Amino acid sequence: MRFKFPLMAIGLEVAMIVLFSLFVQYETDHNTTSHINNTMAADMDGFLKLYPLFQDVHIMIFVGIGFLMTFLKKYGFSSVGINLLIAALGLQWGTIAQGMLHSHGKKFQIGIKNMINADFSTATVLISFGAVLGKTSPIQMLIMTIIEISFFAGNEYLVGEIFKASDIGASMTIHTFGAYFGLAVAGVLYRSGLRRGHDNEESVYHSDLFAMIGTLFLWMCWPSFNSAIAETGDKQYMAIVNTYFSLAACVVTTYAFSSLVQHRGKLDMVHIQNATLAGGVAVGTCADMTIHPYGSMVIGSIAGIVSVFGYKFLTPLIATKLRIHDTCGIHNLHGLPGVMGGLAGIVAVAMGASNTSTMAMQAAALGSSIGTAVVGGLTTGLILRLPIWGQPLDEYCYDDSVYWEVPRWREHDHHFHDPGDHSELEPEV
Amino acid sequence: MGSKYPRSVRGCLPPWALMLQGALVLIFFFFTSYDTSSKDQKKLLGTYQVVQDLSVMAALGLGFLTSSLRRHGWSSVAFNLFLLAVGVQWAVLLDGFLNQPFHGKVSIKLSSLPPAAMSATSVLISAGAVLGKASLVQLLVMALVEVTAFSTLRMLDRRVLNMDNHVSMMHIHVFAAYFGLTVAWFLSKPLPEGVEEKEKMATSPSLFAMLGTLFLWIFWPSFNSALLDIPNERKLAVLNTYYALAVSTVIATSASAWTHPQGKINLTHIHNAVLAGGVAVGASCHLIPYPPLAMGLGLVAGLISVSGAVCLPVCLHRVLRIHDTSGVHYTFGLPGLLGGITYIVLMVLQASWASSPWVGFQVLNDAGALSLAVAMGLASGLLAGLVLNLKIWRAPHVAKFFDDQAFWEVRVLTHNMLDFKCMNLTGFLL
Repeated sequence: MRFKFPLMAIGLEVAMIVLFSLFVQYETDHNTTSHINNTMAADMDGFLKLYPLFQDVHIMIFVGIGFLMTFLKKYGFSSVGINLLIAALGLQWGTIAQGMLHSHGKKFQIGIKNMINADFSTATVLISFGAVLGKTSPIQMLIMTIIEISFFAGNEYLVGEIFKASDIGASMTIHTFGAYFGLAVAGVLYRSGLRRGHDNEESVYHSDLFAMIGTLFLWMCWPSFNSAIAETGDKQYMAIVNTYFSLAACVVTTYAFSSLVQHRGKLDMVHIQNATLAGGVAVGTCADMTIHPYGSMVIGSIAGIVSVFGYKFLTPLIATKLRIHDTCGIHNLHGLPGVMGGLAGIVAVAMGASNTSTMAMQAAALGSSIGTAVVGGLTTGLILRLPIWGQPLDEYCYDDSVYWEVPRWREHDHHFHDPGDHSELEPEV
Repeated sequence: MGSKYPRSVRGCLPPWALMLQGALVLIFFFFTSYDTSSKDQKKLLGTYQVVQDLSVMAALGLGFLTSSLRRHGWSSVAFNLFLLAVGVQWAVLLDGFLNQPFHGKVSIKLSSLPPAAMSATSVLISAGAVLGKASLVQLLVMALVEVTAFSTLRMLDRRVLNMDNHVSMMHIHVFAAYFGLTVAWFLSKPLPEGVEEKEKMATSPSLFAMLGTLFLWIFWPSFNSALLDIPNERKLAVLNTYYALAVSTVIATSASAWTHPQGKINLTHIHNAVLAGGVAVGASCHLIPYPPLAMGLGLVAGLISVSGAVCLPVCLHRVLRIHDTSGVHYTFGLPGLLGGITYIVLMVLQASWASSPWVGFQVLNDAGALSLAVAMGLASGLLAGLVLNLKIWRAPHVAKFFDDQAFWEVRVLTHNMLDFKCMNLTGFLL
């Protein structure tokens, strides 16, 4: 770890700087002669108008997803810290990979949309990170970032440029793709030693509250995520309104079903943290179509239900039968709702809610997202299996102390302010 | 004593919540449509910014502000999100029906979201007073009653008293605080021994509450300027709120140290009293022409809030037997009253400078609006309290007050349990 990780990180960063120097230009220093000043001013105006949306997406990536994963009791540092590392590397590589594909290998200018799209590309890696959380080393995550974003850029090019499918909030290209990629990697990296679970793979009271910070940030900013690259005017307005109501409806059904499937009708924090967001994922593809507020509410409600059922029944099944261990349950938050979003997009197009795309192309986009993700995930998994990346041993999984300097008295810190009280909450008799 | 096993709540929340959501979808299906007018992009994104700021305040700020109880953090944060989701949907509909010209369909504009989010905020404020004493279904019912009452209040303010949108919205603090207190009065049963222990704060939950306070503090200028349309008024509102908040923070910190025998600062005072300035300046923030006036208002509000935090639980609340869990009365109620009175005084001064013949009428009108807000809060709180005491909502048993365990599936909690598990494991291996 001492030498491998720094070398790897520095090497990648140098490579990024070289690539940026070769391919990336500012928007302003291009064609100053042919463009009159007027259009330049308009461009900058557009930049600043979209900047708040970019900011929201940034918050979702760095704070939202980062804190959402802090629910493990001994893995908070890695969740937030490695999240930051992946996102920082990923957005540089995402800028290059997407820019080169869209400009066919020539130099390209960097604008606000490139920055938003770069953030989107890191979202796929962070989603996949959720599946392998606690079972990988930082070096492995660096490698996965590079490979996954390459696959993502290819798939996104295929969906956007060749199929010309509509996927404004990226249910298919980001959420479905990220989820199935992560699941494939997790499947290849399966540790049979952890079949019976791990002592550290559980949450404590306060770690769950931290995760709730992530949930709230994601919930609040999701309308920005789905509307950031929408056409200005009507479409952007619809993307915002649809996502807003879809999320609201999703919250209500999630609480209801969480209470319905749980023992004695109690709520489950895992469901509340994750399934409340499924509405935003599921409405992604058709967010900018005229599906009407009630349509988005129906989509959101169903997404909440699907997600809760996924957590309750599907995740244990996948872990035992398919031998895929999904730490954060990304299949239920991003995978299933993403597929649902793709299907909802097909239905919406069939009902004439949009005239820019056809049913076949939407279906092809969904298929290619899942296909690319699985192939890419299996390849990445095989590369990550090589025993040279400093993976943690089975007994040190889900533990920050392998990769971080950890304060000594961490797990006893509540004894510190209240020596008499050994139990946070007594178990019910 | 009740049985050791609390009643299962499974039969309660899911049917009510699903029925409600189904009904909302149906109403949206029949009565809403998109706004089809052409949109200016700049304005659209400007409104969206406001919506964002308000949801940060409601979801994150108010959610975490009340999370300082040591065993009630999950419920504070998560119930808050649930109430926001329900409240916003219901408020959009009601605003459309009551406060806009109604032509068969409510058109959902982006600009109808900020008032809806603010109406939903009233529920979140009141929920602070009954925190830990009501189940989620009770809160759900309370949300419906309260949003309805608040929308009616705004309609009355607008139609009968000719108040503008902003001022009638700024009565939210007074309304919500007295609504919450009345409901809390109905739900306050004699608390058993040992509950005080659960009410104590531990260090890290207080930090969580501080997180909520900070977010509220940062975004309060957006809240106070959300419904103002004229750019100049908006600028004044932002500036005045900013100064008032700054002053009330300084005052709250020093006053808190002042009330402690050894001059120590109480974090609970900080949580609540630093926000008092923003509350107090709300109604009149677009009228105050000089910063010192706003700062003075912040100063008085901070003092009132801290002295309220010190005195109210001892005198008033004990006499009336109201248990106000997170201090809604002195965070929102009293500073809100102060703000309402300041607004009346300012309007009178303005009118008398202009030597308008309507001074008396103006005073009567504004005072009427303020007392209407209080009366409406008390009356609808009474109604909600009566409804909430019905048996069908399956209220939590009094022994389970302030405890997440009544509502949440809590997995592994204690070191004792962990040790226990390890011992089992070793036993098994041996």
